[in-house]
Amino acid sequence: MKFTRREFIPLAGAGLLAGYAAYDSKTRLPRHITGRAAVAVVKAASYTDDLASRIREGIRECGLDVRGQKVLLKPNLVEFDPNTCINTNVAVIAAAYDVFKSMGAEEVTIGEGPGHRRDTHALAEMARYRSELTKFDDNFVDLNRDDVSSVMGFADRKEIYLPNTALRADLVVSLAKMKTHHWAGATLSMKNFFGLVPGSVYGWPKNELHNVDGGIPQSIMELNRIFRRSFAIVDGIVGMEGNGPIHGTPKAAGVLVMGSDLPSVDATCCRLMGIDPTKVEYLGMAADRLGVIDEARIDQRGENLKGLRTDFQLIKDFQQLRLA
Amino acid sequence: MDALRKTQNPDGGWSYFPNKKISWLEPTLYAALALHGDPAADRAWELLRTWQQDDGSWRPSAEVEIAHSSTALCVTMAAIRGEFDAPFRNGVDFLLGSVGVEHSFWKRTFARWHWYDPERNLDLEGWPWKPGTSSWVEPTAHALVALKKAAAKATQLASLTQRVKLGEALLLDVRCIDGGWNYGNRTDGRNNLLPSYPETTALALVGLQGRTDIGASLDLALKYIRDGASPMAAAWLNIALRLHGKSVDAPTDTDPSQDILITALEALGAPEGNHRLLATGAHA
Repeated sequence: MKFTRREFIPLAGAGLLAGYAAYDSKTRLPRHITGRAAVAVVKAASYTDDLASRIREGIRECGLDVRGQKVLLKPNLVEFDPNTCINTNVAVIAAAYDVFKSMGAEEVTIGEGPGHRRDTHALAEMARYRSELTKFDDNFVDLNRDDVSSVMGFADRKEIYLPNTALRADLVVSLAKMKTHHWAGATLSMKNFFGLVPGSVYGWPKNELHNVDGGIPQSIMELNRIFRRSFAIVDGIVGMEGNGPIHGTPKAAGVLVMGSDLPSVDATCCRLMGIDPTKVEYLGMAADRLGVIDEARIDQRGENLKGLRTDFQLIKDFQQLRLA
Repeated sequence: MDALRKTQNPDGGWSYFPNKKISWLEPTLYAALALHGDPAADRAWELLRTWQQDDGSWRPSAEVEIAHSSTALCVTMAAIRGEFDAPFRNGVDFLLGSVGVEHSFWKRTFARWHWYDPERNLDLEGWPWKPGTSSWVEPTAHALVALKKAAAKATQLASLTQRVKLGEALLLDVRCIDGGWNYGNRTDGRNNLLPSYPETTALALVGLQGRTDIGASLDLALKYIRDGASPMAAAWLNIALRLHGKSVDAPTDTDPSQDILITALEALGAPEGNHRLLATGAHA
């Protein structure tokens, strides 16, 4: 087929536009994912339930094999307030630790780099991590002050420095908390990767992640692009609604949500929270670039989503995120 | 002190933890301050001098090629050692040229037009952790100590004095309702008040040496100690309170921490420790 120059120009323009839509230079990734993703939702009414069995069940549903792997468990340890539930509950971390060990992981490490406080061990003490996790001091790495290596390319930055413990892990498990977030809409397994960025380089808070071109959503994208060998376990037994991720109020959702495709896990969490995941900016960006958020392409394992939805209260600025 | 000497890396620096390999500026600097006068401290300073970059800034470790707020710690160390040569002058110039992005013309203009509420006074000038980010408590406190130490030998005394004034004002502007400081936000961006942390309260007090209008903050620091602060916070609080001339009970002997930064800070904050090297105020 031949085109005249007059025919070619509009066709080329349309082609360029289509190419731009599929490959937004800001996100650096084409929308190339066309398959499906599995997400397991298991019920857990309380932190005194047999959480190890629930987590094992969810992991099995997702077909994850960790034999011989170095696993990093990355909880969400941000601040401490005895009146609310900011952090991943210690019972979830303890259960996940036991499960990954029993599944044949070569090494299971717990690591976190809190974003506001450099006194990580004090936070771990207050959140009862030190008292209730076996051999905490031997198994825990303060990712804020770990040795680091540079990774080329991060949004508009030439490089980013990241902790060696995370870079050398075969699998990073995002042990996130189900929370609303007053800037991002919701903070779940993908946003939890902010704690992988070392304070020794970027400070407290990790303001760099807000200031790159594209801001918080782009930083979430970039961290999840770098840490692709990942798995998510979201603690939604008691989450946080309202002015999260720190000043919200506890909200019982009674679930653990798991999967290897983090966008699909977070999209499922959003639906459980009564949030439209397509309206959460970073999930919209991640769709088909990093994973699946389309409900029709998510294979729901474990519990049926219907009947489990419990609307999390949203602050005024995010009312438009409410799922119809 | 022995614990520090034993954990010094072959390159002369210290890691944050004994099982790590990379030397970092922060633990190296504090270990060198604690060991001031000891050959181990001289070796550490020799290493740190090689980390200064062309723009006068220091990198936070040999592996990390960015301009970092810990430049202030090296300017302080140079002043303590009486080394007022080009590295010192370039370090001071870097600090004088470094300011948080919230102070940009456009942000100040938009705030003045009430297009948004920054919940802090953008006319004040603090220091960021790294260029291109906002001002926060800890880098501002360290820069204040460095510039006050540098004042006697600085060539740009007027601008240095002005930056110290604006930096102190910024710390007071972001002070929490309880009288202390967190990382640097009095509110959460939605006008909800935030509480302070013990360790950043101590750091801000180190930066505010010489001021007489911070009695409530010193009382809070004493309360934090009495209530049983964590080892890191207690170490910083001891240093801050001693620098403000407050008597603090000597910490009870404990096993050396596995955290080298804490070990160094505890040694600095001990009654006979070298915390005086950081003095810039009335008790200097």
